[in-house]
Amino acid sequence: MATIAQAELYRLINEAVERGERVVVASVADTRGSTPQRRGAKMLFFENGDVAGTVGGGCIEAEVWAEAREALRTGTPALHKFSLTADEASEEGMVCGGTMEIFIDVWKPENSFQF
Amino acid sequence: MSRLIIEAVERVLQENSRAALATIIRAPESMGAKILITEEGARIGTLNDDALDEAVARYAPAFLASRAETKTISVEELSLEMEPERNALLMFERIEAEPRLVICGAGHVGAHLARLARMLGFRTTLIDDRADFVTRERFPDTGIELVAARTWTEALQREVGRNVYVAVVTRGHNEDEECLRAVLAAGPRYVGMIGSKRRTNIVLERLREQGASPEVLKEVRAPIGLDIGAVSPEEVALAILSEIVAERRGGTGAPLSAWRRSRRERR
Repeated sequence: MATIAQAELYRLINEAVERGERVVVASVADTRGSTPQRRGAKMLFFENGDVAGTVGGGCIEAEVWAEAREALRTGTPALHKFSLTADEASEEGMVCGGTMEIFIDVWKPENSFQF
Repeated sequence: MSRLIIEAVERVLQENSRAALATIIRAPESMGAKILITEEGARIGTLNDDALDEAVARYAPAFLASRAETKTISVEELSLEMEPERNALLMFERIEAEPRLVICGAGHVGAHLARLARMLGFRTTLIDDRADFVTRERFPDTGIELVAARTWTEALQREVGRNVYVAVVTRGHNEDEECLRAVLAAGPRYVGMIGSKRRTNIVLERLREQGASPEVLKEVRAPIGLDIGAVSPEEVALAILSEIVAERRGGTGAPLSAWRRSRRERR
């Protein structure tokens, strides 16, 4: 999956929120060492199971998916640290070996009770 | 709140402006709260703390002036006056439309340049004064904006602005000269012109005679591109985009491994 242009990213968030749905935005907030994605990389998770963008290959994607699903359910954002020691990475045949801090944010529809 | 931020972000992108979006990503409360600080200093949203909003607004211009796309910063780093026990962490993100590459000339090099630029995420405009060179048949990717120019000067007036890179790769030096004259007047972030040292010198000399400032002419990348020994039009397009990416991201264009060899030499 490729990098999403900012205009596309916010269009997708807006559409989901307008539909009255939550959307989870996972962002690479910080990286240390060898990681598969740059700071600022983003991945979107929608209620219907669709995704867009990427925060980096197989190394951590499964874990990010799990946290994102949880955030969609609870509506609570959180900062997560994912580390890949060189051993783990090589065992899984992956090229990364650093740590990534990923902020899992939840964009919510406007609360109709707020003015 | 979401809608306010989203609408403001979309406005910034449409207006080709810039803004810093700050989000609380670690804190006992207000997780995910956001404030957008536009380049003009307008504030949209809030971090639910006036002093913090103020500190973020003060820091935003420095963030925007850096090359960083995303940066995390703790509240202590942001402002000494804030209470450190809050131990909050903020994420700053640059909101800015992707850079635009304007390509003058849809010949072999221009055509490959347009396709490669799209792959790298540039908003891409391809201009030629030969209408049959800029057809959707040749360029089915609708992400490439095609302009059939009546005159180069007229076509470029509309295109050149901020965060714009221009590659002048027309079929001839008279066309190159006309393009360069129009482009320089608008002051793009980067402009390069294809050709040999000798032929590009002739064009630059003519512009100087017509009154272009030597300082401005010195900044023209001519011949355009990094020296990777490019031969085919595809390779030339790669050499040009390599230079543009290096300019955008602040790279040197040198091999990343150069340090290994220079260290060995020092021994």
